[in-house]
Amino acid sequence: MKQKKRYILIILIIGIFFLSCERDDICIEPTTPHLIVRIYDKDNPNELKRINQLSVKIVDSILNFSSTDSIVLPVRVDLDETKYEFIINFEKEDESIDIISLTYIGEDIFVGRSCGYKTIFNNTSFTLNSKHWIDRIEPIEQQIENENQAHVKLFF
Amino acid sequence: MFIYFILFGCFATFAQNNTEQVVDSLIQNKYGLRVGIDLYNPIQALFDDKRKGLELIGDYRITRKIYLAAELGYLENKTEEDFFSFTTNGSFLKAGINYNAYKNWLDMENEIYVGIRYGFSTFSQTLHSFTINNDAILDNQQAIKDGQKFENLTAQWAEFIIGIKAEVFNNLYLGFSFSGKKLISSKEPDNFKNLFVPGFNRVFLNDAGFGFNYTVSYLIPLYKKKK
Repeated sequence: MKQKKRYILIILIIGIFFLSCERDDICIEPTTPHLIVRIYDKDNPNELKRINQLSVKIVDSILNFSSTDSIVLPVRVDLDETKYEFIINFEKEDESIDIISLTYIGEDIFVGRSCGYKTIFNNTSFTLNSKHWIDRIEPIEQQIENENQAHVKLFF
Repeated sequence: MFIYFILFGCFATFAQNNTEQVVDSLIQNKYGLRVGIDLYNPIQALFDDKRKGLELIGDYRITRKIYLAAELGYLENKTEEDFFSFTTNGSFLKAGINYNAYKNWLDMENEIYVGIRYGFSTFSQTLHSFTINNDAILDNQQAIKDGQKFENLTAQWAEFIIGIKAEVFNNLYLGFSFSGKKLISSKEPDNFKNLFVPGFNRVFLNDAGFGFNYTVSYLIPLYKKKK
């Protein structure tokens, strides 16, 4: 009799093990990656250079960066192209704007229950449309798949 | 004095055991096929138009404490998440054994049981149109993508069940059970995941799940056997 009861207890404990369901209702995995730009000195191409006041305009939003050599920008998933206006000295007398356009082929990937789908960007291509304050740009990668490293170099 | 009390106590329990044994040997248990339906899904469907289905249950007693058990059903369920929603549509079959751990008095036929099941389901997932999860800065430039239907999907799993069945009228039983489940294998859709499986319910991150149901069933008695 005691043996039987022990047996049942063991089964019950195993059952409780089963019931430890891992919750999946918070999004913790990485989703659509951002474009990461690193800024270098045009006269010393291997040296990073900080910009004091940089503003980037994407569609209707303006992102401000101060005293940084590394900027993170969102990429559009509704089109195959994103245009960025790189503005230094925003709304001042010596304001200067250069436009960089990024084209790509988006690929949708399922992440999970809470995160949904993300888009990664393949076959990326950068174009500098004017040269008011930016000297040149150099792509590092052919795709934007994650945020582990920079995707393009900007020289000024 | 003390010794007399102990002796009396021993004699009393001995006498009681004897009486129990005598009465038990006169009792016959009913054996037969019990069929019923799950009430959880129909009741849920009254309040929630995202879920509709039917589950039939059955069990067959093979020894005093052991029953062969099976459940068969179909389910259509819509799941709504933050960035997408999908509808699962399919049928399932579960088969296994229940062990009644409850010692019934006299000729009562109630159960408190533990059981195991092997479950199998075939189903389709229809992913409805969804939006891509992107930076909130671009909320006005959201991408709405077409969904698609994934067909001929399957899943297999194991269940551990704890339940109760009580005979409320002659041969009519009400039951309640709780189960812990774990997926064994499944055919997953391309670039999506089986987040819900009929018969298994919601699939959690580690492929585990749980469920409960309440049932009503009727025993078709076939023969009787000594307890």
